Amino acid sequence: MTELSNDTIGIIGVIALLVMVVIGVRVYIAAATVGFVGLVAIIGWDAGAGMIGTIPHSKSVTYTLSVLPMFILIGYLAFHAGITQALFDAARKWLGWLPGGLAVASVMATAGFAAVSGASTATAAVFARVAIPEMLSAGYSKSIAAGVVAAGGTLATLIPPSAILVIYAIIVEESVGQLLLAGFIPGVVSALIYVGIILIWAKADPKVGPAIHGYTWSDRVKAIPGTFPVIAVVIIIFSAMYFGWATPTEAGALGAFVVFVMAMMKGMRWPALRESLLDTAKLTVMIFSLIWGVLAFVRFLGFAGLPEHFTNFIVSLPFEPWVVMVCILIAYAILGCFMDAIGMLLLTLPVVYPAVMALGYDSIWFGIIVVKMAEVCLVTPPIGLNCFVVSAVRPDIPIATVFRGVGPFVVADFITVAVFMIWPEVITWLPQTLLN
Amino acid sequence: MTQPLDLTPDQAASGGQMIARLDRALHAAERFTALASAIFIFGLMLVGVCQIVGRTVFNFPIFGYIDAIEMSIAVFAFLAIAYCERMGGHVRMELLVGKLRGRPLWLAEIAGQVLGLLLMAVLIWYGWEHAMRAYEYGDSTIDAQIPWWPSKMLIPAAFALLFVRQLLNLIGYLRLFLHPEVEPVAVPLIADIRELAKEEAAEAGAIDDKDDGSKGRAGA
Repeated sequence: MTELSNDTIGIIGVIALLVMVVIGVRVYIAAATVGFVGLVAIIGWDAGAGMIGTIPHSKSVTYTLSVLPMFILIGYLAFHAGITQALFDAARKWLGWLPGGLAVASVMATAGFAAVSGASTATAAVFARVAIPEMLSAGYSKSIAAGVVAAGGTLATLIPPSAILVIYAIIVEESVGQLLLAGFIPGVVSALIYVGIILIWAKADPKVGPAIHGYTWSDRVKAIPGTFPVIAVVIIIFSAMYFGWATPTEAGALGAFVVFVMAMMKGMRWPALRESLLDTAKLTVMIFSLIWGVLAFVRFLGFAGLPEHFTNFIVSLPFEPWVVMVCILIAYAILGCFMDAIGMLLLTLPVVYPAVMALGYDSIWFGIIVVKMAEVCLVTPPIGLNCFVVSAVRPDIPIATVFRGVGPFVVADFITVAVFMIWPEVITWLPQTLLN
Repeated sequence: MTQPLDLTPDQAASGGQMIARLDRALHAAERFTALASAIFIFGLMLVGVCQIVGRTVFNFPIFGYIDAIEMSIAVFAFLAIAYCERMGGHVRMELLVGKLRGRPLWLAEIAGQVLGLLLMAVLIWYGWEHAMRAYEYGDSTIDAQIPWWPSKMLIPAAFALLFVRQLLNLIGYLRLFLHPEVEPVAVPLIADIRELAKEEAAEAGAIDDKDDGSKGRAGA
């Protein structure tokens, strides 16, 4: 073993990790095992094993990470607070008159729900139940109704509270607050680009989605109070991050409490609360396991010097930085077709992130971009989970129909990423005003 | 344990009955850990709200708030790790293994469990040492002087429960490897993408197919 250089050990480690992940070993086990064996190979058994024994505790038990269960809890409780129907109602009454009005309303309602949920698939699931029946009875085609909902669900991860943005911040050692702030405008821009696509489409072919009329201003105003929890959570998280009157964990706790009270008022009782809490506990431990597992792997990579060498290689490429960036994003788009978003980001960022920084990109900008890319993968074949979720809620809509309906929105997503690349200020402006 | 296990003859064959019994006992312990961490998460929410109210309204922040939160992270970050394993909650790439059937599939699962067992053995041993050092030196948090060792000790304990779960998984998969004709019992099974989608939708309450306890892609 001693004859192998650290570089070689590093490369063997990366290959071993890939093999394990491909044969279905849990990602955290694979990452931590490679981290452990690699450390032992480089610094010996005593130092390596001693180090690995401390990593789970030292990498998990930090105050910043305590925001994760709070954000996850908000999402699970939100399903019981009667928000989905209220949001869709309000969006329909305010926006139904537009061409493709119900589809536009669905996008804006999912964007609103994204403000209380960080889970794309869950958002797609609940709106499949609420919005698709109404679109179908208004004469929308199945593929459009399903596509809108599957695509709308992806907004959940950009618009805070978003667990995946917190995880990105932890891995790259950025400010959680700044990343959360940075997610607001790109999330809204993504939604508006979806709306734009629907408007153009429905204008060109009015049969696609007829407008609906007949709501009075009094109907519209009366629809607003039901969306109160969403407005409250947005104000709490945004103002806490912007003005700093509470930490992300505290803001998450207050947001969860508001949604909890609403859910109790809507009739949530102990069995539903227990299920929400158990689901939160399960997802929390899953994310924490990934974090310490991957950070054990990162420790090994650091000793092997691999990120440094990869960075030197990327920087030495005879291409413009934006060309390299486009290649990286394409690689993410392909990888995302095979892997869960959180797993993919955690496994790749330790190597990719330093290289991207060396190319001169902003770390917050890159965080938003990769999360957006990971989301696109939720609606593309072969394993676009959001589309399967919609088809699971509506067994009468075959999966091929959902994928067909989501096509225009994938185009919209690529337009969105292009917008972010050409005008990075869309992402960086808000967090930078905070710094100033 | 006295309740009937309701296994089909194919599930009960070749030791399936015994595995199902052990699974039920272990799952009771796992559910307890999950409830404990659920309660801590709920508590984290309440304490966070109290902290905001106390600090902004009464100008009286909770003493040692951050220390206490950090201490409690060990509970919800680790305690339910075996529960998550039993419920098929840990992230893995299922695209390739999902295509395997029979012995090759069980072999891949066995490999995963063996790796997990080896890793946990190391982490339990050295995590225990880490906790014992904290105990002997009397390490404590800076503000509230809360000793660190209970939080550190919780981790090898949670890993020990996971070790037992992985051992049971290993036995379950070995049974299937030796007798590919029998039905799986008490092992996490790979859901195909449609089942996974159904689970996600059910978790969000968008469809009704929740059955308490046995949910989560586990045989039997």
